[in-house]
Amino acid sequence: MGARAPAAQTTGTIDVGVSSVRYDGFLPSGAASVSPALRWERPAGILTARGTYLRFESGHRSLQSLLAGSFLIRPAAHRWRGALGGSLGASRYLDFASFWHATADARLLMLGADRGVWIGGTAGRTSYGRAARPVTAVGIGAWMQRSQVMVGGSATRSFVGDTAYDDVVSTAHTRRGPLALDGSLGARFASRGGGRGVFGEASATLAVGERTVLFVAGGRYPTDPVSGSVAGRYVSGGVRLRLASPARLSARTTIPSASRPGTPADGDPVADLRLEVLPRPNGVVRLVLYVASTSAAGAELAGDFTDWQPLQLRRSANGMWETVLAIPSGVHRLNVRIDGGAWIVPAGLTRAADDFGDEVGIMTVP
Amino acid sequence: MILLVGATLVALQAPAQGIDPRLERLDSITRPIVTALVDSARGAALPTEPLVQRALEGATKRAPADRIVAAVRRLAIDLGHARDALGPTASPTELGAAAAALRAGAHPATLTELRRIRRESLTVPLAVLTDLVGSGVPVDSAAAAVLSLAAKTRDADLVEFRRAVERDIALGAPPASATAAAAAVTAEATAVQVNAGARQQRPGRP
Repeated sequence: MGARAPAAQTTGTIDVGVSSVRYDGFLPSGAASVSPALRWERPAGILTARGTYLRFESGHRSLQSLLAGSFLIRPAAHRWRGALGGSLGASRYLDFASFWHATADARLLMLGADRGVWIGGTAGRTSYGRAARPVTAVGIGAWMQRSQVMVGGSATRSFVGDTAYDDVVSTAHTRRGPLALDGSLGARFASRGGGRGVFGEASATLAVGERTVLFVAGGRYPTDPVSGSVAGRYVSGGVRLRLASPARLSARTTIPSASRPGTPADGDPVADLRLEVLPRPNGVVRLVLYVASTSAAGAELAGDFTDWQPLQLRRSANGMWETVLAIPSGVHRLNVRIDGGAWIVPAGLTRAADDFGDEVGIMTVP
Repeated sequence: MILLVGATLVALQAPAQGIDPRLERLDSITRPIVTALVDSARGAALPTEPLVQRALEGATKRAPADRIVAAVRRLAIDLGHARDALGPTASPTELGAAAAALRAGAHPATLTELRRIRRESLTVPLAVLTDLVGSGVPVDSAAAAVLSLAAKTRDADLVEFRRAVERDIALGAPPASATAAAAAVTAEATAVQVNAGARQQRPGRP
């Protein structure tokens, strides 16, 4: 039997923010926005759907939507990969005609251990009202990762109807624990109808909980004749809320113990227990023990982070017991027990022999 | 029993450098022996906290004295071997993770190679290696996968790689195949991010 592909992850988020924006040729304006998004992700592909409702201080409103994705193709030559992508979008402001676009991308990538290069093209259509225009673009790019920093660069030549322009852009991304920083700097030149000049943006996101991220962003971006957005300068801040992920909820009941080597036979109490380890950005870890037996009166946990003193878990819901502890990053050993019974290893942890004739659970905190 | 008596004699002869109050939980026979082992490890510049924790684990699990002593002694030996493999600059948490990996069957040469290729802490890669072997992945397959990712993969992505392997094994994939496949896609994930980012907007961009 061959290996099956890893399961997909689906996450939903909603961004709520405020901005100060000045579109080229317009007066500055404040704006508030709400942006729900859904992201379906596998190691070889991503699909994103996003909508944005923008309300300006004048009371005018704008609606934008986007569906975009890309997937890898693996030919026989292992260092090369093909990637196919696409984008569908639409936007509307006041009573102006709507913009819509539909484009497809194809790229050829050569991957190294920590770097890569690509060459590709884009083709499609864009329309303002009823006047559809062809979209064509060709580009090359490269990226490199060093430790926690990824840098990249690209050069593209785009044609949108009678409009043509060259863009050269460099990007950088780094992450330090809960903080992620992104930046880009680019220039548009050799332009006919697409504007020209230097542009750049930066953003910072800070995870402050399992489902909450704060963000600030700002900069200047060029006109995008494909999506219809006008060049502008902006500063924004807000919060991103991650909604419950169906993949995470289903993980509570997956991993049938019988399929794991060395797991106990059916009917063993271990099969009725599962521990979920949820590291938080501020150095604490939330441990949630799911107990199938609703008649359990008490659940305890002991590990090297409690000096192996039994710690009573708090019942938070029917069948759920939990605690939040400051646990340093590293490898930790722990066991749980129900109603003062034997110390056992719940599902969700790696098992190892404990040197005392039984088993201990191994937990890794990044 | 002979081992226990011998260890007791050694403990009585060796001067204690101060008993960790947590070891008061051990019985009067086990406590001085474990204290001597901890002192000996301290003298050899090995981390002592893992040894204390191993003894406390045995006390909580009400293990016999000889098993507690044997467990602490074995861990001290493993920590020594871990330092031989990782070098004198290894942190206590790295040594603890390395000791677990060696006990799981990893070769010392694998640990030495990890030290050579990865600048960041080795704790998570070593923990992932131990987890993979514990999940049934052959040692050589697990080592090859971790070494292929260690140079360029963040801790969080290594943890996610381990989860992916665990999921695939639970779904019926042979452990070695699941590991190789997950390692390959983890290494390629960057390429997808680069491509999919073509139209990604900054958060809050109006």
